[in-house]
Amino acid sequence: MSVTEEIRARLEQAFAPQLVVVKDESEAHRGHAGYREGGESHFRVTLRSAAFAGMSRLQRHRAVHEALGEGLLGRIHALALDLGTPDDPASEASGSSGGGAG
Amino acid sequence: MSDSDARSRIHETVQNNDVVLFMKGTRAMPQCGFSSKVAGILNYIGVDYTDVNVLEDEAIRQGVKDYSDWPTIPQLYVKGEFVGGCDIAIEMTLSGELDALLEEKGIAFDKAAAERIRESNS
Repeated sequence: MSVTEEIRARLEQAFAPQLVVVKDESEAHRGHAGYREGGESHFRVTLRSAAFAGMSRLQRHRAVHEALGEGLLGRIHALALDLGTPDDPASEASGSSGGGAG
Repeated sequence: MSDSDARSRIHETVQNNDVVLFMKGTRAMPQCGFSSKVAGILNYIGVDYTDVNVLEDEAIRQGVKDYSDWPTIPQLYVKGEFVGGCDIAIEMTLSGELDALLEEKGIAFDKAAAERIRESNS
């Protein structure tokens, strides 16, 4: 299973999301720290799930970190998360942009 | 430096400085796009903050992740409290929550500049 598929599978299992988009943005980071030939290093995830209702931003992010697990997170260089409930608009252009691991 | 030394240094830094950004590079010369975005916001809205370059100290780099239980850099702290990473800092800037947090904690910043960020991203 590719890293992209593994991320998606774990998120689907943990959050039964209404929307899940896992984008491998590694090519946009070619030449930057953490870039690997073949990609699968930099990801952007958009997730809309009722499970996030009543959770703070920090709690939502922590829930995703936990669902992915240390092993998977350790293989990713960067992960941008756009997390919301099904009522929140899913804006691909939100400019959300994560953080660099490592 | 042992893990507990790193932990107490991090604790001291976030307790003794109102706003702290653990980042890759410095506020003047960020070395990662994510760190650059958060430093850029803080610079632009004129917050007086302390930047800690984790690339200069491996113990701090790992230590701050353990301290906050957060796997990525940058990490923003206000009055000793972990606020979030790059996504959260940007979302809070655009929603006005960052303004509210800074106001609540009595930290000076340029509100008009924060408004300009929101206007240009609306």
